[in-house]
Amino acid sequence: MGKMGLVHSGILNVLPDVELVAMCEKNGMIRRFAKKLFRNLDIVDGLDKLEGFDLDAVYVTTPIPSHFPVAKAILENNISRNLFVEKTLAQTYAESKQLADLAQGLRSITMVGYLRRFYVTFNKAKELLREDAIGKPESFQAYAYSSDFLELEKENKASSIRGGVLRDLGCHAIDLALWFFDDLAVKPDEARINNQAGDLANFKVEGSEIMGEFDVSWRKENYHLPEVGLSVAGSEGRLSVNDDQIRLVQLNGKSLQWYRHDLNDNVPFWLGLPEYYREDLHFIKSLRGETMANPDFRSATRVDKIVDEVIG
Amino acid sequence: MADTTLLVGDNPFHNISHLSQERTRLKEKNAITPEKAADLISIAIKNGADGFMFSVSETTLSILKKLKEKGQTDELSLHAIVPYAYEYVKLATQVGGISGLARKVGARILVSGSLKGIATGAIGILRMEPFTILKTYLTYEVSRIRSAAGKTMHLECVFLHEVITDLALALNMEWLFKSHIAVSQKLGTSPGFNTCNFPYLMSKLREWNLDSCDISVAAPFNKIGFQMSPSKNECEKTLQSLDKRILVAISIMAAGYLKPREALEYVRALPNVKGIAIGVSSETQAQETFKTAQQIGNSFRSDHLK
Repeated sequence: MGKMGLVHSGILNVLPDVELVAMCEKNGMIRRFAKKLFRNLDIVDGLDKLEGFDLDAVYVTTPIPSHFPVAKAILENNISRNLFVEKTLAQTYAESKQLADLAQGLRSITMVGYLRRFYVTFNKAKELLREDAIGKPESFQAYAYSSDFLELEKENKASSIRGGVLRDLGCHAIDLALWFFDDLAVKPDEARINNQAGDLANFKVEGSEIMGEFDVSWRKENYHLPEVGLSVAGSEGRLSVNDDQIRLVQLNGKSLQWYRHDLNDNVPFWLGLPEYYREDLHFIKSLRGETMANPDFRSATRVDKIVDEVIG
Repeated sequence: MADTTLLVGDNPFHNISHLSQERTRLKEKNAITPEKAADLISIAIKNGADGFMFSVSETTLSILKKLKEKGQTDELSLHAIVPYAYEYVKLATQVGGISGLARKVGARILVSGSLKGIATGAIGILRMEPFTILKTYLTYEVSRIRSAAGKTMHLECVFLHEVITDLALALNMEWLFKSHIAVSQKLGTSPGFNTCNFPYLMSKLREWNLDSCDISVAAPFNKIGFQMSPSKNECEKTLQSLDKRILVAISIMAAGYLKPREALEYVRALPNVKGIAIGVSSETQAQETFKTAQQIGNSFRSDHLK
């Protein structure tokens, strides 16, 4: 029940016709405190205790290395057929694929928390690409930066608990690129990662009709908040998008810019960021309609595949 | 129409822009020092500002110390927001989550020498009592502010940051709202809630019979409806329905998207506004923005009297 567990719990609790019934927390101190904080909820200490709740869905918001055993146990023990797992789906592509196969066999509705897909800026960018606003996309540069570990010593325990920068932060840029351009594969000789501390990575990818480059770091100066962005060059212009804004420059000289403010960013309940509401609403709507959520486990395995290819 | 308190906001002093981080990075080399921030607040006060609204951080505490040194702070009204969410989220990331964060903050309170806070909290913390933990934490923050600000500045209100308020709202944590009101009153400040869900908060406060308490609510109100959930229209309707002034309007320029005059004209026309917070990052802005705020306020006041 970390930050993300609290945020999703809050949003779910205000969504119409959703009932938040239980939280699972292994840490005894946090569990004891949570029981006093959330008096209307059951706080349990293990997955087995969730079995009696007849749950429609479970959210897994534990650290990345535990996603696989936790999600697998939930599916295999029939605690819930439907699952939302925070990004990345698992610690390796092999684990991700195993989860996707398991969920497919159970006809589960699944989703992985790639929040950037719910940013108004990235949605506008996808719409512009679909409308051929820059013609045929030819190449892109993607980045994911933060200053979170800038002042800390190189060997930091928390950074490894989070799965390294590529999995923790870079995954957002990879997911967006896959969402925009579909299949991409890493160029094996052009990947560089600081394996020792796992805090920066640079690599190139290619798709059937596009080339791309990623740069990822959580020791970047002046990125007080994590930021993800892409700059796409097309046959008729360039599109640059990040968490806050989009710039479109066309070869015909036309230039346009949008901020979040211009893109109808409001939601019925705002907790932290508006994207959390849109993301959870999307998952709940998928559950109700028995339709596929985006990205589902299968789609999200592609991110883990690229991460594995880079790490080698 | 009663006077509206004009407050200097602190976002520019933290070099934060909710319009775009890119803008923040461009300004990074010319980041505002505590010394410069204190000067800007002094200029704003000479031009009509009544106080300072700030998240409690080392930066803003240094600004308060500078203001105290300058001795230009008689009766300056302070509106604090706790916790400084950015710092705590970053700390949680660095120390491995919420349990690590709790240990760090606990250690800070211990080494702060806030004896009152420690004595109040020791047993309650051991028993994991939420009320005592909140009380200990608020006592610690209030003592930091008062120690930095000295006696000439008045700590008017302590707001719970939107992340805490809105999470507590979402999870129906009535006890937290009641506790914050009770603790703030004991500490000699007015309780406040910072929220992005103004109508939802007001409806919950009514449901919990807390709407008659003497509280303040800091919420975004701006001409384009930025961060006004669920919508600008709903926020305005809720504000209109109140029978007293509790709102401190924040984000009035929608993070720099709007010009000061158009932002102020909108917010000055709203009913039940008791305060307005506006960030400034240059001497010219500090002068012109607060002069404009006063002019527009005066013109609305004279129209109202007619």
